[in-house]
Amino acid sequence: MTVLRDVVTAVLLPAGAVFCLLGAVGLHRFPDTVSRLHAAAKAQTLGVLLILVGAAAQMSLRHAPVLLLVALFQLFTVPITSQIIARTAYRTHGLDRDRLLRDDLADRLARDGTPVEAEDGAGRDDDAER
Amino acid sequence: MTGPPTPPRRARRALRHLPLVVWLWFLWILLWGSTGSTGPVVLVGGLLVAVAVVLSFPLPPLQPGAVPRPLRIARLLAHVCTEIVGAGAAVAWQALRHGRRTSTAIIEIPLRVDTDLLITLVAEVVTISPGTVVTEIDRRRGVLYVHALPTRDEQDVARRRDEVRAVERRVARAVGHSHRADAQEPGSGERDGREQQFREGER
Repeated sequence: MTVLRDVVTAVLLPAGAVFCLLGAVGLHRFPDTVSRLHAAAKAQTLGVLLILVGAAAQMSLRHAPVLLLVALFQLFTVPITSQIIARTAYRTHGLDRDRLLRDDLADRLARDGTPVEAEDGAGRDDDAER
Repeated sequence: MTGPPTPPRRARRALRHLPLVVWLWFLWILLWGSTGSTGPVVLVGGLLVAVAVVLSFPLPPLQPGAVPRPLRIARLLAHVCTEIVGAGAAVAWQALRHGRRTSTAIIEIPLRVDTDLLITLVAEVVTISPGTVVTEIDRRRGVLYVHALPTRDEQDVARRRDEVRAVERRVARAVGHSHRADAQEPGSGERDGREQQFREGER
């Protein structure tokens, strides 16, 4: 039984660590804020969950609910923060718009008469400063 | 708001808060972790805190008429778990393989569900799913704007849209809310117009 537990932990902890690492790689390699969110919100979450399960295998059953709670709050809060950051990033030019295949949100905002393009001058100024 | 609540109504309202009280109480006990010598204090204290929190910060009713279906919820959870594994792997692969040159798109996806709870749940699951992050929620029109990570052509866009629709269907079923009925609400005329506009935009 302990051997089985050890095997589970031995597999899951490094796997979780690898996913956390890959999340960091994505954070470094992806071109803009919203793309980076993909790495932060997914690879990272998976890594944390794997590590939690790996740790749970080593602990007495009494501690399992607390770890489950950690996992649950991860799953609920990460998407919410991601959405807020994505929304803010879109409106503050944290998104490389030339890279987008299509941008329905820009069309919608233009139709509503509140295009983000109004701030485009500011964006260009930023580029000039760089 | 409509006159003083009659006793049965008050009882029903109290009953509505019961799940939240029980959940907060459970959390409190769990986080204290000990039921030894301080056991009774934790139990009573937790109950008091839970009731105090619920009374001082009353939440609006989540969704009247929702009938949670445990089996469907379990299936949704299982689906979310597999999605997370797939998502982690897919994004990690994208990061390694394409990195800077990855291609993305922001896709407009009109939803059929039209309650705060369902839209929140759909947005959450979509954000955890592989390659999609919700960038903007247009609550009034019921539209999600989804940033999709590996999107190379229009076919990918269509696939993403189908995926989000599938998530929507799963969530609606889990909460016991048929979105078919929802689509035929009086407001659907305006919504059809939106769909049409949306299709025009695609051309």
